[in-house]
Amino acid sequence: MEYVVEVENLKKSFGRNHVLHGISLKIKRGESYVVIGGSGSGKSVLTKCILGLIKPTSGIVKINGERIAKLSQKEMFKTLLKCGVLYQGGALFDSLNVIDNISFGLVYGYGKSIKEAYKIAIEKLELVDLSEKVAKIFPSELSGGMQKRVALARAIATNPDIIFFDEPTTGLDPITSGIISELIVKCIKEMKMSALSITHDINSLKCISDTVGLLYQGNIIWEGSNQELTTTDNPYVKQFINGSTTGPFTNRAAR
Amino acid sequence: MVFLERVGRTFLTFLSSIGSATLFLAKSVLSGVAPPYYWKQIGKQAIQMGFFSLPVVGMTALFTGMAMTLQCYNGFSKFTAENAIPSIVMIAMTRELGPVLTALMVAGRLGASMTAEIGTMKITEQIDALTTLSVNSYKYLVFPRLLIGLLALPFLVFIDDVIGLFGGYLVGVYYLDFNAANYIRNTISAISIWDIASGLIKGAVFGFLICLMGCYQGYLSNRGAEGVGKATTKSVVSSSILILLLDCVLTFVLF
Repeated sequence: MEYVVEVENLKKSFGRNHVLHGISLKIKRGESYVVIGGSGSGKSVLTKCILGLIKPTSGIVKINGERIAKLSQKEMFKTLLKCGVLYQGGALFDSLNVIDNISFGLVYGYGKSIKEAYKIAIEKLELVDLSEKVAKIFPSELSGGMQKRVALARAIATNPDIIFFDEPTTGLDPITSGIISELIVKCIKEMKMSALSITHDINSLKCISDTVGLLYQGNIIWEGSNQELTTTDNPYVKQFINGSTTGPFTNRAAR
Repeated sequence: MVFLERVGRTFLTFLSSIGSATLFLAKSVLSGVAPPYYWKQIGKQAIQMGFFSLPVVGMTALFTGMAMTLQCYNGFSKFTAENAIPSIVMIAMTRELGPVLTALMVAGRLGASMTAEIGTMKITEQIDALTTLSVNSYKYLVFPRLLIGLLALPFLVFIDDVIGLFGGYLVGVYYLDFNAANYIRNTISAISIWDIASGLIKGAVFGFLICLMGCYQGYLSNRGAEGVGKATTKSVVSSSILILLLDCVLTFVLF
């Protein structure tokens, strides 16, 4: 079986605060894996450790079979070219307009000419249902939903093998959330990418996931398919999916 | 014991700050010297620092030169030593006032904006986005600023010297009724290449320092808008103090 991402016994602590307690997960080529969990459960830290933005305390992370801790900076940047990231707030560069944002990785990462990069950027804009008219607009002039679309276009611009979605629908209204979720599915299917997403949004989760992992207190305590999500007896999953105020999450927190 | 503990802790924090700033500097310089070079970023910083600082620097120099001439006149006229005024203004502007005032103005104007810009990029994950788009953020954000800081400040100091002397000339000739030809002759006779060069050397050191502190504090920013605000204050205060401290050290070394 070919895995795009492999994580083995990943641990991360910040001083005495142990955030990840030994996480293991594997993402197959073409699979969409979604990590769910409450606020502060370590979802963002997990993504950042996988991308090499945070150095893990211990454990192994492999992207496309390469152990990232063993890579030189140059090799790491080469590996990152095969990863796209959609950040929670979009993380679009304020000083650049939409088209420069989308073509950034193509120009600076792949060394493509501006003309070539712009051509690809326009194609990606169309893929996320935005017209060429927004190309010269700056991110601050766009609505939240449009910013997410532009950020998605930037994340897929380099045709990555795997794309990371950090709470892609947070802060958006339900309709825009649905549109973004559908766009994510469209991009994954059309471009045959793998995806690792983290989300709180149950509707988005049902739409974009093939496999789901529940992160709780630094461990993945449940893993299953999209269908198993609604049929499982796991009390943690049940409480999370139903948004119930009583259950193991809250009982444990209250103790 | 508590007092000693505090002193020790403060001293250790100070040493650790120096260590981390040095590492930051090494990372930035080492990343910047190897190709590819981001000429667009370098050009942008050159315009921002070298061109847009001219009005502020020019006005500071003009008023300082004028005030300096007036003050010298008030003192020197008591000893009928008015002829020495142009040479005193010349020495004061080129050796001290030019580099120090230019650096302080640039620290307020650009050091602050550098920290605020980089700090905002840090908290909105734009620096992470640079990394995941396979661009070394030190090379893209820090090195161009350090390089231009090193080159633009001497240029601004030179402009400051010229405008400062012109301010002195205006007050001397049009307010204090000096003979214009005599004033210019006395100024020219006081010109010393070493005085001018020492001011430019100071300018280069201060420019590098302002950009280093501006970028470093920006990278240390955390905890939202308040964190960026604090980092900006720290950047301006630390640059200003270091400028005055280094001015003293450089004066000992150069003269």
